[in-house]
Amino acid sequence: MSVKIFSPQDFPAYLPKLNSLYDDLFAGGKGFRSKLVQIVSKPLKLSAETETLLCQTIEFIHNASLLHDDLIDRSQLRRGKPAAWTKYTPEYAVLAGDYLLARVMVNLSGHGNIKLVQYTSGIISDLLEGEWLQDSVVGDFFITVAQLDRIHNLKTASLFKWCLKAPFIALENYDKELHVILDEMGTLLGQLFQRSDDLLDYDIRNDEGKVILGDLKSGYLNSFGAFVSAKMSRSEIDQMVKSKDLSDFYIIFDPDQAAGKEKFLSKVNQFDAVNLQKIELYHHYVQQLSGKLMLMKLDKTSTEQLVQILNSLTDLLYFRKKSV
Amino acid sequence: MSRYVTLKKSDADFLKYMWGTFSGTERALPIESLNPGTAQESITFEIKNLKEIKRPSDLFIFSCLIKWNYFFLLFIPLFYVGVKNYVFQRIFDPTSFGLAAAASLFLFAGLNIRNDVIDHVSGFDRIIKTAGKKPLLLGWTTADSANHISWILCVIAIALAVPVCIRQHEAVRVVGITLGLFLAGNFLNKNNYKFNHFSEFVLFLILGPALCSGYQVAMGSGVDTEILIFGTVWGVAVLFLLYIVQFSNLFETSQAGIKNTLTQMGFDRSKIFLMSWWSFFILLWTVYHFLYASQFWLWFGTAILIFWSLPTFIQITSTHSPIGSDLIQVRKAGNRAFALMNGILVFELIWYIYTQIQGPL
Repeated sequence: MSVKIFSPQDFPAYLPKLNSLYDDLFAGGKGFRSKLVQIVSKPLKLSAETETLLCQTIEFIHNASLLHDDLIDRSQLRRGKPAAWTKYTPEYAVLAGDYLLARVMVNLSGHGNIKLVQYTSGIISDLLEGEWLQDSVVGDFFITVAQLDRIHNLKTASLFKWCLKAPFIALENYDKELHVILDEMGTLLGQLFQRSDDLLDYDIRNDEGKVILGDLKSGYLNSFGAFVSAKMSRSEIDQMVKSKDLSDFYIIFDPDQAAGKEKFLSKVNQFDAVNLQKIELYHHYVQQLSGKLMLMKLDKTSTEQLVQILNSLTDLLYFRKKSV
Repeated sequence: MSRYVTLKKSDADFLKYMWGTFSGTERALPIESLNPGTAQESITFEIKNLKEIKRPSDLFIFSCLIKWNYFFLLFIPLFYVGVKNYVFQRIFDPTSFGLAAAASLFLFAGLNIRNDVIDHVSGFDRIIKTAGKKPLLLGWTTADSANHISWILCVIAIALAVPVCIRQHEAVRVVGITLGLFLAGNFLNKNNYKFNHFSEFVLFLILGPALCSGYQVAMGSGVDTEILIFGTVWGVAVLFLLYIVQFSNLFETSQAGIKNTLTQMGFDRSKIFLMSWWSFFILLWTVYHFLYASQFWLWFGTAILIFWSLPTFIQITSTHSPIGSDLIQVRKAGNRAFALMNGILVFELIWYIYTQIQGPL
């Protein structure tokens, strides 16, 4: 689904560079979040127009955050291509991000559901708070996983929550109990996705070819780093921070590199075990959601399909199983 | 494979799960939610069989529940009042003093447990991160059992306090005022006794002037200006400890919508406030020593206190985030400054005992 144009005023051709910047940015994206919106929307039988609007909204917010994020982190690459701020100047990257967020507000408010506008604005605010907080902990190599969870809940999970909740809000379904379940599901999906993304940094399930130890080298201890270093001494953490590659990293655990790698992998297994508990909790909430959907008397087949897909999302987001 | 149960607050079984009375063989451990609105609606419990829970010894659990590491908040004023009146030879009723001391310890232990139970039932213990273990959250015991222990300790405290009130009638007034303050603090606030604006003031009064004058009244010496000033100094120091805890939980409590002094100020202003509060304490400490202590302790003790406070100020100033590991360092630095102040005070009091026995050098 193309989400670039919802209203004729989106992306006027007379603005220099904006369209090519947009095309560059969106070309490599998988559009996972808009697909999630579509999946949730299906049993709710949202109109095609509303569905497109929601898909555009989430993709615009997500990509606006990427434009700003790359500039803040000084990341040179995005989706294997030069980041927008390097190709089009930082000024244009900031303006393009702002423009995407502005279009979100213009198009959403035109839809007329003020609750949806309010909720979306809150999510954008959460996203920025998360970004702000994350920036404040750069260089903090003693941060805990629990503290990072709170940042990721704002920065990453907020968009997952939006994908799950927005279709219901668009339908003017404000059932508190339902929204609590969706919030918890979104939080868990966001955490699992972020933790899996953080594992890529240590070359675990890294089929995307993400730069190894990129976070650590930019002074950011991610969730797996925080998990591994939780019981390390100060000197071991110093050694970890100075790691140039994974072989340097392994010898923190054992001077013998092969044995060090073994111990490192056992840490990965422990981390997976912790996250499996989160997956079990997520499935508990999916079950709760299933009960709520049954009460809404939606089409049974599409509801069952939705539940099935939601259950399998953890395989995709945490274990990065492409076949899901 | 974990088992989870989500219950709405209006569900009939909700309180049974919260208090731990739903089963004799299982524990329901409430799961922390990162979404502020969730806890108002429902709570998800992880159900664990008792065999799955690694439970330490009963003694360890009890010591965690009563928070024995905070008992110095009573011991120091107790020691001070004892020494002060020993030096001036004004311990008229040592039996009542002993009973009052024991009563305060039992009451403190009982109220600490009660506080944990309230925190657990209100969900506050999932928001506030403390250095100590939380037996209720870990499933080592149930809120119901803890509540029973709390009542037993409080009843013992009352039983010990009754003879004190009979022997020293003035103690009735101190106990009455303290009880009134405690109840006001408890009932006027929704969230938690320690984390509310008005309650902070009540805590200052109870653990400061009321506690110190209560001990002195119990030994039959009545209330004097010195004890009230020392109580004020001590109360201000205790509040510093509380503010340090509030600071280290600033982000979590702000998100949960809890209003206390520091959440109302925000991160940047809280840093200035913490330093100002400890500076205010040092000023009061100096005034107290100027009025009632020897010149040596006025200059020597104050100089060490100021010198040792510098790392705390530096740590607070260099904290950049309301969520990172800096907060733990601030808490440690604050606790160290407080501990050193206690150390100076204890040495000073021992010095007074020594000079009383030996005569002035």
